[in-house]
Amino acid sequence: MALINKVLPGYVATLWCQSGSNPTALTDTQLETWTGQVADIIGTTAGGTGTDGIQVPVESIPAFGADDASATYAVAGARTGAKITTQNQVTSLTITSAWNPADTAQLLIRDDGYNGTTIRTFVIATYDGTDTVAYAFNARVGGLQWDMSPSAEGKFTFVLHPVGGNSYGWSNNS
Amino acid sequence: MTTQNSPVIYAKAIQYQLADIVSPIPVYNLFNRNFTKTQTKFITWQLRNVHQPVYTGQTQSNKGIDRPVFQISVFAQKDIDALNISNTILQSLHGYSGMFGNPADDGFFIAKADVYWLYNTYDNELGLSQIILDCTLDIPA
Repeated sequence: MALINKVLPGYVATLWCQSGSNPTALTDTQLETWTGQVADIIGTTAGGTGTDGIQVPVESIPAFGADDASATYAVAGARTGAKITTQNQVTSLTITSAWNPADTAQLLIRDDGYNGTTIRTFVIATYDGTDTVAYAFNARVGGLQWDMSPSAEGKFTFVLHPVGGNSYGWSNNS
Repeated sequence: MTTQNSPVIYAKAIQYQLADIVSPIPVYNLFNRNFTKTQTKFITWQLRNVHQPVYTGQTQSNKGIDRPVFQISVFAQKDIDALNISNTILQSLHGYSGMFGNPADDGFFIAKADVYWLYNTYDNELGLSQIILDCTLDIPA
């Protein structure tokens, strides 16, 4: 199958995570391996196999990727200073979802945040109906908040903080 | 993990609830000028804005709560009657939380009913005072 070659609406993005209370996060190599690894976390509705993961029902997927950073320094005698691009850490994701106390994925994330040390593999999948592109990363959960404003539905907000190092990877089903 | 509720159930519940509040004044869905020939006061209602917000992804159940609105039109030959009926509805419905509709026939729980008393007016052709109210329901699904 070919890689997706069309502009995608944001709506096609979904968030998936490993199931189970004691997950074994993927290794750096596995994070960029589709077959048997990332595909197992993504459900069939987004082109995966779904044998090892569940969907996290979120309102929308925030911007993901890496934070920007550079080393800047002054050069004596030159017209300007200079910058060297450095690779910063993977971006943390602040995610809002409609609070459903019976949702398995939300309870799993609540337990992870309560535990504080659990490292779980999360995958953002974009799916055009045939093919999938996946961005996988290992993260801990922090910043659990519940906003029960009486003028709207209850919101559950959490932050996924990627662990350091190279713990993210791109893959696709082609 | 929410499924879209049926507008049929909403309609049944609104009809039941309004009739229960203003009994014995008749309650109708939608206006018909024939009512004016036989009724000195009556109420009609219209349902609108049945909508659960849709969230990202291909899973259809990833939606928010439904917050439909129904508009209540109070009709009466005497202005004071219309005002009194509108007050009865306000006192009963505004801020109400609990069973909405007939518990024995598709009634359901609402977290909140929020009534907005909009305006009063007069229809010279019909000879009827009218008062319009909006009611928003918060329905967990």
